[in-house]
Amino acid sequence: MKTIKFLTLVALFIGFTSCSSDDDNSTPLLEIESETISNLHAPQTGGQGQPVSGQFAKFNFETGKTTISDTDWDIAFRGTSIIVNGGTTLGTTDEPNRTREAGVYIANGTMASITSVDTSLFTQDSGTGYAIPTGSGNGWYTYAGPPTHLITPIPGKIFVFKTRNGLYAKVEILSYYKNAPANPDITVDVTPYYTFNYVYQPNASVTTF
Amino acid sequence: MILNKKYFRIYFSLFFVSYSFSQEIKVVATDSSKTENLDEVIITATRTIRQLSSLPLPAQIISKRDIERSNSIRLNDILNEQTGLITIPDFGGGEGIQLQGLDSQYTLILVDGVPLVGRSAGTLDISRITVGNIKQIEVVKGASSSLYGSEALGGVINIITETPKYGFNGNTNFRVGAFNTADLSTIINYKKKKLGATAFLNRYSSDGYDLNKADDLKTVDPFSNYTLNAKVIYDFTDATSLFVSGKYYTQNQDYIASSTLKGESTINEWNSHLKLSHKYSEKWSSYFEFYTTKYKAKDYLDDENNSRFSSSYYNQLLIRPEIRATYNPDDKNAFIGGLGLNHETLDRTDFTIQPEFNSPYLYLQYDGNLTEKLNVIIGARFDSHNKYKSQFSPKAAIRYELNDNLAIKGSVGSGFKAPDFRQLYFDFTNATVGYTVLGYNAVSTAIPELEAQGQIANIIVPVSEFQQQLNPENSISINIGFDYMLSSVLKLDLNLFRNNISDLIDTRIIANKTNGQNVFSYYNVNKVYTQGLEFNTTWKPINQLKISGGYQLLFAKDTTAENAFEKGDVFARENPSSPSFQLKKEDYFGLFNRSRHMANLKLFYTIPKWDMNTNIRGTFRSKYGLLDSNGNNYLDTYDNFVDGYTIIDFAINKSFYENYQLSLGIDNLFHFTDSQNISNIAGRIIYGKLNIQF
Repeated sequence: MKTIKFLTLVALFIGFTSCSSDDDNSTPLLEIESETISNLHAPQTGGQGQPVSGQFAKFNFETGKTTISDTDWDIAFRGTSIIVNGGTTLGTTDEPNRTREAGVYIANGTMASITSVDTSLFTQDSGTGYAIPTGSGNGWYTYAGPPTHLITPIPGKIFVFKTRNGLYAKVEILSYYKNAPANPDITVDVTPYYTFNYVYQPNASVTTF
Repeated sequence: MILNKKYFRIYFSLFFVSYSFSQEIKVVATDSSKTENLDEVIITATRTIRQLSSLPLPAQIISKRDIERSNSIRLNDILNEQTGLITIPDFGGGEGIQLQGLDSQYTLILVDGVPLVGRSAGTLDISRITVGNIKQIEVVKGASSSLYGSEALGGVINIITETPKYGFNGNTNFRVGAFNTADLSTIINYKKKKLGATAFLNRYSSDGYDLNKADDLKTVDPFSNYTLNAKVIYDFTDATSLFVSGKYYTQNQDYIASSTLKGESTINEWNSHLKLSHKYSEKWSSYFEFYTTKYKAKDYLDDENNSRFSSSYYNQLLIRPEIRATYNPDDKNAFIGGLGLNHETLDRTDFTIQPEFNSPYLYLQYDGNLTEKLNVIIGARFDSHNKYKSQFSPKAAIRYELNDNLAIKGSVGSGFKAPDFRQLYFDFTNATVGYTVLGYNAVSTAIPELEAQGQIANIIVPVSEFQQQLNPENSISINIGFDYMLSSVLKLDLNLFRNNISDLIDTRIIANKTNGQNVFSYYNVNKVYTQGLEFNTTWKPINQLKISGGYQLLFAKDTTAENAFEKGDVFARENPSSPSFQLKKEDYFGLFNRSRHMANLKLFYTIPKWDMNTNIRGTFRSKYGLLDSNGNNYLDTYDNFVDGYTIIDFAINKSFYENYQLSLGIDNLFHFTDSQNISNIAGRIIYGKLNIQF
């Protein structure tokens, strides 16, 4: 008796849910994009006490490519600094103006474990500092100092970005050295060449990856 | 004393000539090896003369005989060969002792019962102490603040120096070895009737050594130092005696910071120790003790134009009057109580003020044999302080003899370490890199000053959080063990230990500076524990042979870190460019610079027929981590570790003409070095030593 009751309920449930699906006219969901960007070159001049300058290398999640557009970019790199297209400029030389409302927060986890976006956490660049703090141990990297002088991404730091169009992406930086060598050596390996993994959610208002 | 290659060669040719001579001459065989006294006495554990074998605390005595046979010259040489003890080089070039996995700042170092000062960066450099006039070294493990107050968290190491013996005699001891290292000690001893005196002189010098030839700098720069110690004992009557001791130590060392910056560093240390003892009756005795020590260190660097680049100084003074009394109602019970004051001042570069500490204290201890088999010690100490919270440190210990061969013992005690001057008053900005370190009490004045100068980008920890007091670091230590006499020639002892430390003082970033650097200050945060076991055994299969071995297993961990691993908040990468993954609880290795395993094995062999003795000593240390190499701030199994290593020392000593002894030895036989990670292991050292008794 119980089995019959259960089966009836299941049949009803399936029937109802399939009906509602038929009524939905929205476009099918786009596939989530998982990519690796290698050797994104982001040089800067100055630094180490001198004024910093140089064009930022801008990146567009929609195309998955770098861009020279002044407006259609989401995040940008220069030296060890990473900025977002949201908020206001810090005012360094050659720094682009923020034209949209992109944002970022840093989550602790792995690319696999960060599966949803907490929209309450986003921050933007400002006149006092970038949303991704600069300096060793503050943002995405640690600087080992002498004798190796290596810049190494901090393990377990996943950047969750809100793009200029209000979509979401998660990024893990893997290397600051050209061709992402397993054991970089500053006497042979050159910087700044970013290698990172990202996952882009191209569907509006979907907060999971 | 001149030591160049010529003299060195002469010395060695003399050495070999006399050596071969003495072998031709048939010396009448006399058994110089005495059966070692099983009833060794120790004073450090209870501040009364106490039989080591019946003590309820984990303790150890290093005899003069073992120091001499090992041909040690400095305290670090001999302590490194003891179970569970290891000296750790610090960045200032000193070597501090690690005991039960606790840092050198948590072990109190005493000479004849009074403390040494001069911990400019927390470490007390024990290589500054010569072993030339040491009678024995006493090591008591586990918190002992109930008797000694601050710093005695991990334990106490007490260096007992020679006391005058009857007659007029002395000896001189000269050792030369690799790196042009020379050590000369002379002790003269006089005692007749009421007056006894000793005078001791030591000179120690070395060219230093260089482990990394690639750079301009030496690992250890050339130095020379002198230790002078004079002691007078006068017995007014059978019941009243006076002890006066004065010590002076001076060291001069080259200070080479780079190819262009050169200078010198000097250390001057004075100790004066006066003790008046009086025995009122069989039951009552009292002691009045007055101790003063002054430690002055300074250094400078000049640039290539001979103009002053930097200079610094550190002047510390400790004055301690103490009275104590012992009461022995019968031969089963003993009481000791003491009352004293620590007065301490420091004048140092980069300090906001010239601080002054005053800390009166009081302690009381009962030591009793409740039954023939049961011994109990109960004690407590109260330290009051003008700059931080007063401390109450109790301790209890018990030993029970199950039978003639087996005894169990256990002790629980609390220890503390007062915040040092540096943690309170430091105001230091690194001239070349630009970071700032502030003592806890310096924050509220220094931060507004830096702000006014426009040096602060943003404040991370508000100044209002520095209105309280920095708490002393505290520990509870538990030791449980047993002594087992398997037979008259084989002894074992085992001790399980656990130290829980709270309010550990650490540094944190309290503000970011506009130059991109940070401002650091001290705060109470971590809870740390060290636990493990220690095992020692001595076996004397025949009278001529002594084999001893020891092992320590150690887990030293930060509870906060352990929780972070448990919660899954810690990540690592296989290599710097691969994706992160989450670490598990068992991936946490523990605190930096702690080896899981340490062991030693020593073999002493006497050949009475030839008036010779020889020994071989090996020490092992398993792998350890010096820093976090994968960016997660913790030492985990995926970090780079310093490989474990073994050091073998060998020595041979021969007596001839009664009053002469020649020794030849090799320390670090297999020339182990690790230039990258271990600065205090110089490599193989071949040496010769001559000892003359007169």
